[in-house]
Amino acid sequence: MKESPEQVIDRSAKLVVSFFVASAGLWLLAAALLAYIAAAKLTDPFFLSGIEYLTYGKVKIAQANAFVYGWGGNSIFAATLWIIARLSQAEVRGRIYLLFAGTLWNLGITAGLLGILDGKMNAHELLEMPTEVWPVLFIGYSIIAFLALVIHRSREHSTTIAPQWFILSSLLWFPALFLIAWNGLELNPARGTVQSVLSMWFGQSLIWLWLTPMALGAAYYMIPAIMGIVVDKYYLAIFGFWCIAALAPWSVLNHLVGGPVPMWIPAIGTVMSIAMIFPIAVASTNFHATAFKDVGKVWNSLPLRFVIFGTLSYTLSSYIGVIFSLPAVAKLTQFSIINEFHFNQRVYGFFSMIIFGVVYHMLPKITGREIGTGPKTFHFWTSALGVMMLLLAYLIGGLTHGVLAQQPSLDWASSVISSVQPYFLITKIAFVILGFSQLVFVVNVWKVIFPNPLACCLDGSPESKEKSA
Amino acid sequence: MDNIFKFAAGIFATLGFAWLAFVVGAKMQYGDLSPQAERLEEDGSRPVDAELYPKALSGLAQQGGEDYQALGCMTCHTQQVRMIEAGFDVERGWGKRPSVPRDYVMQKNVLLGNTRVGPDLANLGMREYSDEWLHQHLFEPQSLVAESLCPPSPFLYDVSNEAKEGSIEIPATDEEEPRFVSPSLRARGIVSYLQSLQQNYELPEMSFIQVENEVEELVVAKPADGNASSAGVPDWLAKQISSGKEIYMKAAPGGGLCFTCHQPTGLGLPGQFPPLAGSDWVLGDKERLIKISINGLMGEIEVNGVKYNNVMAPPGIPPGSLTDSQIADVLTYIRNEWGNSASAVSASEVAAVRAATKDRGAMQMWTAAELSSSSQPAP
Repeated sequence: MKESPEQVIDRSAKLVVSFFVASAGLWLLAAALLAYIAAAKLTDPFFLSGIEYLTYGKVKIAQANAFVYGWGGNSIFAATLWIIARLSQAEVRGRIYLLFAGTLWNLGITAGLLGILDGKMNAHELLEMPTEVWPVLFIGYSIIAFLALVIHRSREHSTTIAPQWFILSSLLWFPALFLIAWNGLELNPARGTVQSVLSMWFGQSLIWLWLTPMALGAAYYMIPAIMGIVVDKYYLAIFGFWCIAALAPWSVLNHLVGGPVPMWIPAIGTVMSIAMIFPIAVASTNFHATAFKDVGKVWNSLPLRFVIFGTLSYTLSSYIGVIFSLPAVAKLTQFSIINEFHFNQRVYGFFSMIIFGVVYHMLPKITGREIGTGPKTFHFWTSALGVMMLLLAYLIGGLTHGVLAQQPSLDWASSVISSVQPYFLITKIAFVILGFSQLVFVVNVWKVIFPNPLACCLDGSPESKEKSA
Repeated sequence: MDNIFKFAAGIFATLGFAWLAFVVGAKMQYGDLSPQAERLEEDGSRPVDAELYPKALSGLAQQGGEDYQALGCMTCHTQQVRMIEAGFDVERGWGKRPSVPRDYVMQKNVLLGNTRVGPDLANLGMREYSDEWLHQHLFEPQSLVAESLCPPSPFLYDVSNEAKEGSIEIPATDEEEPRFVSPSLRARGIVSYLQSLQQNYELPEMSFIQVENEVEELVVAKPADGNASSAGVPDWLAKQISSGKEIYMKAAPGGGLCFTCHQPTGLGLPGQFPPLAGSDWVLGDKERLIKISINGLMGEIEVNGVKYNNVMAPPGIPPGSLTDSQIADVLTYIRNEWGNSASAVSASEVAAVRAATKDRGAMQMWTAAELSSSSQPAP
């Protein structure tokens, strides 16, 4: 039987995508473990307190980096390569280089996280990994991005569509952001609080311009692909895209309000955050108007259920983000653990949920093996439950934290922080649930990628593994 | 849109605009922002010999700052006091004034932070914790603040069951005997860094007074008390001290010119000019101090057991020109600076002494012997 063009593409992507998904899964587990340790340390300060490698600050920062670069980075590579290849109807090429670059990336992050735990961290948001590992990461990333662009350039149809815009912009924005931040913080360090401005701009833009467009692009791809219909009001998508491109980099600095920086910086951030309602409205209209044409299909397709959970979460969290950037509210919640709410909502509730959906959709096609429905469903419900628990705890806890912190007569430790402590306990439980959920995900994925671990170990080389499959 | 190069140019342009504004724009606005005197002359020039703030950290404190960062302390502690209208940081006693960009120009790594699970530390050094207190807090925060979530850092200390030189006692608890901990070099660096965190100076763009006026306008409760000895002093006292400091440091008409001999550090010069910091004369009887400040002092004087022999002209430019309230302010200042702590001096007290000694000639200086004998029966 002759292979269809899709099968040829899937086969060309099999090795590298499996590699990236498998590594992403391991990083997800590492992040889950670190998240649990950090949460446990907030409920019991004496937990592991004697180990200098595991201070709360180090673990917390290592967790964010493992999550964003380990899980986020690897899964972005996997989803980008596969979706771009499918949309271009072109094969994935340069597989050896992709594997090499992926190895660089993963080794770099491993070294970076060990560096953080060893006390060599930088103090810049999401740029905390030690200076030495960044060139390695950058080279690895550039190779992957270059080869993804090569696939795109060899596409069959010259017209591009929404998922391509979003995914390619995510691919290109990261290195640009990185070079700006690297130059301004490491090569020619800015003086005084310009550092803080740049560091916050990088850290927040990374979420807005790297993870967010990737997940939006994946959603623009997945929803019509699975439902078999076109995106409703598709003509709005281009407006939504350029709104994000033009507004998002301006909208991230509102957290500096009242701080020792020129006042116009947070003021612009506030105004632009409010303007972000336009792109948010466009994306959610596109996604949900399409999805609600056939709710039954969304419910029955597990990958799509993950994606729609993610897009709903995106809409909701972004609107909440707009509300929290209003000066009157920002005054209350600035510096509170509401920051954790924003981070987890975006990185977990939105980005990761969509990526889970992509992985469940993509892996069976690539490997030709189905993932059991039971474990997948378990993963969905535990993830949904864990995320909602986590976010509610951070939201309500953050509001409590912020409001009490604004009462100067309340003692800090015994009144303010004690009132927030119960919420830390809830986040700890939520991280346990999420940890189990992620374990199930990783087992699901690894079982499909390595159906027979012994055989793989016996005849070693990846080529033979591919043949036997 | 379909041409990848045009597309890339477009998305880089949108990113670049934001970068230009925030980073390049802010850099241009900061210009050569550098340490500055607390106050400028009326023509905008910097007074001669003025102390410049912020100061660079000592070597030990810089080391401590690196360790503070390596341990990830900035995950829970911010180092910024927000503007009055943006939050209640000043009211909480976390600083005498909001932080401004100039406060950070001497720092290699600026650690503003964005979450406060722990209190803000921008002015920790002003809260007058002892080094021992901070060491104990680093070793085991819960032994001082029971509800603290701050993780203990026992790895910075040597723990033993008996006291050693320089060790700090951690009091006994229900479960444990008293312990004695000796700080490592790193622990001493961190404490030195923490003590150095203080925005306790004014800058031309941000003074304490301004803050006090603004705070009065907003309805606020008293600063938090609890375990923290807050840096807050009553308004009138803070004003007197800051005015006194100005007189002490001023080398122009209306100033006191005190610092030229007694030094900005209040330590004097060994063998020539006696110290004011910790001095039994400064902290002792007010009347003697007022008399010296009106008429000056000459001849042998014993301060803290050390003999000095020099001449102190009546303070002020020209000599003896300080008013009653100026003398009150500068004396209050020297009695409450450099670790000194004694009651304030009021203008009426100065006026009373001036009235009682009015028949004394303008340039007729006191001697120490005269003051010691005459001050005994004084009220």
